[in-house]
Amino acid sequence: MGESRREFMLATARAAGVAGPMLGLLAGTESPARTEGNDLEILSAALLLEHHAIALYGFGLKRALFPPGLRAYATEFRGDHQGHRDTQIAIIEERGVAAPVPRDDYDFEHAPAGDEFVRLALEIEIAAQRAYTGLISRIRTDDYLLSAAFILVDEVRHMTVWQRVLGLRIY
Amino acid sequence: MIERRAALKALLAAPLIPLAARAEARDYASAGEVLAEIDRLEGELDARLATLAASFPAAAALAASVRADHDRHRRARVALRRRLRLAEAGPSFPRAQAATTQRVAAGRGSVDALRALAQDLVHAYAEGLPAIKDAQGVDVLARHMVDDARHLAILQMWTETEQPGG
Repeated sequence: MGESRREFMLATARAAGVAGPMLGLLAGTESPARTEGNDLEILSAALLLEHHAIALYGFGLKRALFPPGLRAYATEFRGDHQGHRDTQIAIIEERGVAAPVPRDDYDFEHAPAGDEFVRLALEIEIAAQRAYTGLISRIRTDDYLLSAAFILVDEVRHMTVWQRVLGLRIY
Repeated sequence: MIERRAALKALLAAPLIPLAARAEARDYASAGEVLAEIDRLEGELDARLATLAASFPAAAALAASVRADHDRHRRARVALRRRLRLAEAGPSFPRAQAATTQRVAAGRGSVDALRALAQDLVHAYAEGLPAIKDAQGVDVLARHMVDDARHLAILQMWTETEQPGG
């Protein structure tokens, strides 16, 4: 990943509320130790990204910021993220920890319309894909591993669709 | 198995995949079984893509890219099998692949058939990860799954237009 792309993706993750070593994990510069605490940090970061994605897609759909013809994809992907959110909350709460709630200060007011908005959606998908790829080998419970695997497949689909829409290389 | 599937139904309220499909998720008994299924589906997908590429030049670039990814994946699986002390992929694998090539050459090589096969491969990865029982192995195969999920997404988009490259 190019440096500018990496910075943009990290800025997106920060905007979602991701902080500390989890940013290093997303950047590929850190590999936090396999501890229960770090597992929860990764899960929480993944959930924050889901919250952010749901808010971004919701804002874009409400304000008609997605290019005409792409609303169906945006609606589908928002639904996927809502499902991912519910799964992540179940996983975190099963571990006896309160799941992080969405930020109350998302700032999309100046988000551009059209392809530039799609680019914002792409960046959150890239961040989510990297988070789940980093997370998956740390999961110790079979059913959670299975659900995370299917979430990851969804994220890759979202990412690939937006990359193609933007004319980026997909193979 | 019933307990696991009941847990899946309870846990996965998410529309990640249709509920019926989740409830029917395949239970792999061992890492060896998972890797054998990936070998089989990957070989068949490569063969079908090669057939499609022969008919539609627009598909050739994707076929070459997928094949390169799969060659890399196969080498990584060889190393993984050694590390997990599993039997190597049988010597019949290349012959099976050749047989597949002959079979698909005689059959329908539609984009939708390819998409279905690519989906089977992605599901084999996803459903197989719990049977690997090795964090490093899960990490390796999950990264391969990301590649194959990307291939699947491309084929899904092609299916929407029924046109390779469309």
